Amino acid sequence: MSHGHEKKTLRLDEVTIPRNHWWNTFMVAGAVAGVAGIGATFALGAADHHQLYYSYLTSFMYFLTLALGGMFFVLIQYAARAGWSVVVRRIAENMMATVPVFAVLFIPVVLGMHDLFHWTHAEAMEDPILKGKESYLNQEFFLIRAGIYFAVWIGVALYFYRSSTSQDTTKDLQTTRRLQAISAPAIALFALSITFAGFDWMMSLDPHWFSTIFGVYTFAGSVVATFAFLAVFSVMMRRAGLLGGVVTTEHLHDLGKLVFAFTVFWTYIAFSQYFLIWYANMPEETIFYRHRWENSWANISAFLALGHFVIPFFFLLPRTIKRNATTLVIGSLWMLFMHFVDLYWVIMPNHHKHGVHFSVIDVTAFVGVGGVFLASFAYLTKRHATVPLGDPRLPESVAFENF
Amino acid sequence: MVSVPKDFDPRTYDPVEHRAPLVLGDHDFHTVTESIARPVEWKPPIGWYLVLAASLSLLGLFGVAIGYLVWEGIGIWGVNNPTSWGWAIVNFVFWVGIGHAGTLISAILFLFRQKWRTSINRAAEAMTIFAVMCALSFPTIHVGRIWLLYWVFPIPNQMAMWPNFRSPLLWDVFAVSIYGTVSALFWYTGLIPDLATMRDRAKTRIRQVVYGFFALGWRDSNRHWQHYEKAYLILAGLSTPLVLSVHTIVSFDFAVSQLPGWHTTIFPPYFVAGAIFSGFAMVITLMVVCRSVFKMQHLLTYRHFENMAKIILLTGSMVGYAYAMEMFIAWYSGNPYEQFAFLYRAFGPYAWAYWIMVSCNVISPQIFWFKKARTNMAVLFIVSIFVNIGMWFERFVITVTSLSFDFLPSSWAYYSPTIWDVACFAGSFGLFLTMFTLFVRYLPMVAIAEVKTVMPQANPHHASGMTTATGGH
Repeated sequence: MSHGHEKKTLRLDEVTIPRNHWWNTFMVAGAVAGVAGIGATFALGAADHHQLYYSYLTSFMYFLTLALGGMFFVLIQYAARAGWSVVVRRIAENMMATVPVFAVLFIPVVLGMHDLFHWTHAEAMEDPILKGKESYLNQEFFLIRAGIYFAVWIGVALYFYRSSTSQDTTKDLQTTRRLQAISAPAIALFALSITFAGFDWMMSLDPHWFSTIFGVYTFAGSVVATFAFLAVFSVMMRRAGLLGGVVTTEHLHDLGKLVFAFTVFWTYIAFSQYFLIWYANMPEETIFYRHRWENSWANISAFLALGHFVIPFFFLLPRTIKRNATTLVIGSLWMLFMHFVDLYWVIMPNHHKHGVHFSVIDVTAFVGVGGVFLASFAYLTKRHATVPLGDPRLPESVAFENF
Repeated sequence: MVSVPKDFDPRTYDPVEHRAPLVLGDHDFHTVTESIARPVEWKPPIGWYLVLAASLSLLGLFGVAIGYLVWEGIGIWGVNNPTSWGWAIVNFVFWVGIGHAGTLISAILFLFRQKWRTSINRAAEAMTIFAVMCALSFPTIHVGRIWLLYWVFPIPNQMAMWPNFRSPLLWDVFAVSIYGTVSALFWYTGLIPDLATMRDRAKTRIRQVVYGFFALGWRDSNRHWQHYEKAYLILAGLSTPLVLSVHTIVSFDFAVSQLPGWHTTIFPPYFVAGAIFSGFAMVITLMVVCRSVFKMQHLLTYRHFENMAKIILLTGSMVGYAYAMEMFIAWYSGNPYEQFAFLYRAFGPYAWAYWIMVSCNVISPQIFWFKKARTNMAVLFIVSIFVNIGMWFERFVITVTSLSFDFLPSSWAYYSPTIWDVACFAGSFGLFLTMFTLFVRYLPMVAIAEVKTVMPQANPHHASGMTTATGGH
């Protein structure tokens, strides 16, 4: 457990991405894919606006939840004064710092409001139940709320990002103390904003339907995918020699444990929602699952239960799987895939009510938003050290061992 | 420069705040054993007998209340139609909730490598088991015909009657009894090395035989420890989902129904957060007292209390989040019955109970944003009492408000408890306190072997590194 003496100098150049490294190509490829993907999405979607915006929203939510999950990871590490995670925290910080890009990526959602949200239509609001929600579900307040969410996220993300990266050189203890102090209130803001963003951007796609757990559901999916993303990039960057050799099997093991634990947590939340609605069998609630059990949607629903829980549960359970970089990456990539299936399953049945209709726009939107996200992530990674060099708990993290 | 101090010790090492050690003062393994064993080995002070007498009196009251209940029937309670679930269910959920902290501390904090759990886990687990006993007594007596209780078990009988497997009340039987069993096993497993310590220290033959019997021949050998550690990890892994499942099932008792105020999807995680919240409050209540009565200031330090206060703040805020979600979605749903249920909770005849709940559970823990409050024993004690009260009222609000104003206004009725409701509830504290009073007298209330592992002497690099973590008795 304690390993004295391992004196090792971690120099800045060991944790900086070299000029001619493939990481630069990765970044450029991401940017190209982003522009091409979003361009193709709009070109192909010109004929079918509904498909365009639904596909776009799915991918937007997918990558946004990754960025927000990164924020949650950073906040929770500070709040818990965690030592083990310092060597991988910068990856999450870079995910988190892409949030301002999503404020721009949100523009198509605003443009597509009429195609996405039934409640934006005046005639829809003649429905007495929707009429009652008008003070919440109206375009002005919807946009104001979106503004508030982004203000909170950008504020928190940039504050933590700038403080942490500046600590690389200042090595100031005070920075850590300050971030620790504000991490807990920031978590409260995070919880409320992701909840209502989930209500606004996913739950209100069917304005009649409601579920008190939906905010927690949004959060649970986001966090699983984030831990998986962290595991994948920790392994990838470690193999590319970009992390200064400080990320060890021990850190991967812990990330694997978190992927596993939150896979179960997601299942717990998803099951709670499903089970209570199934049991009470009230039409205004069961409609959500009714749509998702219609024709080919039933296959996706069954696949979600199997692929988001049963398979990863047994796959990730053994210790050896989590301590082997290759198998950990396989499990994590699978969870990243399943997170997309989850969001697709939440969002898309509002458009294709009677069965699954895969569209090429689903792919172009994913490539587009994903390209922009990964390019931003790669760019941010390049700008600073890949490991928080000035964090006072870095030595503890380097020496960390599971026992 | 990446370097780790030579005597790097993850238990106390922290470059930012220089964490306080988990065992204060100039203690070695032997003095720690002495200080923990003292209340078990010394002649108890008169105060202990007084507390035991008071607890036993309450326990007697419980017996009388139950006896009369069995004789007369549950009509002696205030339950009416439509409020057919009264204090009995409220008390059941209250006690089950309290029974969550112990196993959470032992299992989940263990998996999260929270070393500070070692000073509090033993007493908290004991509290868990006693709370589960109190909890189980309420559904047991609520069935009315107690002698037919065995019907809840799926055993064939001559009437070919099987329990209704679709009823969450039946799941409760399984969930709570499995939880109680595993918690007791977990607690006992952790006790074995300490029972051996007590055996070896025994001054009387009877003590030696009894502690020795339960110590299962523990000899502190390397092989024993290897088995022990493995068993502990496995039990921790098994207990973690159990901790969550119990209150999830309890929440199903309400949430699978179609009753406004009961049927809402956030109930499972909301109940689990509430259970941890109330459990930690009870741990603080008991530990503040034990700390000063048994002179355990060096083991139950400010750092322990500060951490528990943070958990109270976190889970209290989660409960507040759930209240807010219920309110918001009740409005958002557009369902007039749902809206009515929540409006009546907050502003109807039970508004007093609702606002007690909100003030105690959501507002009072907010004081723990301040370190001064988290490290002040008086504040900790008072807030923990508030939380205990608030969590009882939460279950009261949920159970009673939804039932007493149902869909048909002609059947509405205000629910009031009778003296027998009060007697049963007060009596359950008698059971709880009797068990706890006996526990602190006959078993080491801090895990001796475990607490030694968080002392600097347990570090192989420690200057006096000749001692072993388990020695000293």
